[in-house]
This record gives sequence, structure tokens and C-alpha cells, in this order.
Amino acid sequence: MRELRIHGRGGQGSVTAAELIAVAAFEGGMHAQAFPAFGVERRGAPVQAFVRFDNKKIRLRSQIYEPDYIIVQDSTLIKDVNVFYGMKEGGIAIVNTEKAIDSPVPKGVKVITIDATSIALQKIGLPITNTALMGAFAAASGEIAFTALEDAVKRRFRGDLATKNIAAAKAAFDAVKGAA
Amino acid sequence: MALGTGCTARPGKSRNNRTGSWRVFRPAFIHERCTSCGMCRIVCPEGCIGENEEGLPVPDYDYCKGCGLCAEECPSEAVEMKKEEK
Repeated sequence: MRELRIHGRGGQGSVTAAELIAVAAFEGGMHAQAFPAFGVERRGAPVQAFVRFDNKKIRLRSQIYEPDYIIVQDSTLIKDVNVFYGMKEGGIAIVNTEKAIDSPVPKGVKVITIDATSIALQKIGLPITNTALMGAFAAASGEIAFTALEDAVKRRFRGDLATKNIAAAKAAFDAVKGAA
Repeated sequence: MALGTGCTARPGKSRNNRTGSWRVFRPAFIHERCTSCGMCRIVCPEGCIGENEEGLPVPDYDYCKGCGLCAEECPSEAVEMKKEEK
């Protein structure tokens, strides 16, 4: 079983990203579940979203305390929330930042940084980073195929919006693949 | 503001929640163009714009969430929104 935890802020699309990744995993023939947890229902407030996928049926329904992967949509969250909490050794953390991470990272965790805000502003015109980070996740983890991700985005968004979001995901996918 | 798992905030004054880190765009106040009309102070939803001795607007970046209303409403276009580095 693979577990992913997404840390974001209200309005960045963490919940949508979790759903779309679950749909993409499902399309790839896996069992999947996605659900969010948040405190304050307000734009900018910290949000967590969870995705679980496995080749067999998933009986577990709890929040994710020991993730294989995390996505951090806003690097300032690292100061507010213990984003690395419970991360497994050999896990991958994808962090949206322009700079390097200055806070301590648990050992055995690989950190991939990507400037998803700039990608989103360039490709979508809004600072909504979820699809870009989904692209980065697909590239970094290799768990889901980019085509499956593309289908999931097309299902959720229509026309122009889908095209723009896929462009953002593709740009991030290529950036991470290029760096690896 | 430190949060536990599940993102529940501890009780206390909302002043403790420095919402400034939410910003994507940061307003820059250009005092040379400012006429001290006070529009930015009126429209700011966080009420975080104060004034200096000369009556020119000074934002509190600890609480400014970067909504851009001040830049949108400023009649003399003295507020510019710039992407925050983070």
C-alpha cells in the first residue's frame, strides 16, 4: 500500500489534487481512496488531504500518519505544521518553493523542490498549484502514468481550463524528470 | 502559529495567527505617488494598514494576506502587487 499526504492552504486545490491522483491511480488499475481533513474552512487556512492506493482492496480508513510521499503546496507551511510527521524512510517529499529548504528533514527522505507557483501563474494565470504538483508527483514517484493524470484532469475540468491545467502538470512533470 | 495533526488551532487571540504567510502577492506601497486619501486603509479586509508620521500608509506584513484590494482601489495607483518570494 502506498500513502500520500498533501499539505496545502485553502484555495490551492489540495482536496482536488488528492481526488485526481486517486482517480488516476484507479485508472491505472489500482484500488484508491482520497479524503481531506481541515480545521478552519477559510481561504489560506492549512489543509491536509490524503490519498491511499494499493493493488488489493483497502480496508484501512484512518488518516495518514506514516506517508510514503508528501506534497507541500506552500513552503511557509513547514513552519506552521509538522509536514514531515511520520514519514517513512525512503519517502519522497515534493515541496513548492523557489528556494532551498532550510528546515531539518528526517533522514532517508528525499526532498524535491519545484517552483509550482510560477508554473501555475505562467500556464493557468492563477496561483493554484495543485495540477503542477500532481505532474511533479507523477514524475518523482512513478506511481501513476502521466496519461492517466491527463485523463483525470480532463474528467474534472472542461475545455480551456483542462488544457491549461494539463500544460501546468506537463511543465512540472518535465521539470522533475529533467532534474532526475 | 504551531498546529497539531489535523490542523486544529489552539485557542487564543487571532493576533497570534500571523496570516501574512498566506500571501502569494505582496503589495508595495509607493509613497511618492500616494495622496494620503486613506482608501487602502478603508478597503483592507484585515485592517492591517496603518500610517506613519507623515500620514502615509504602512502595511503590517505579518497580517497582510495579499488580497490586492488596496492595489485595485488605489485612485493614484500607488500600490503594486509583486510576487512574494517563498
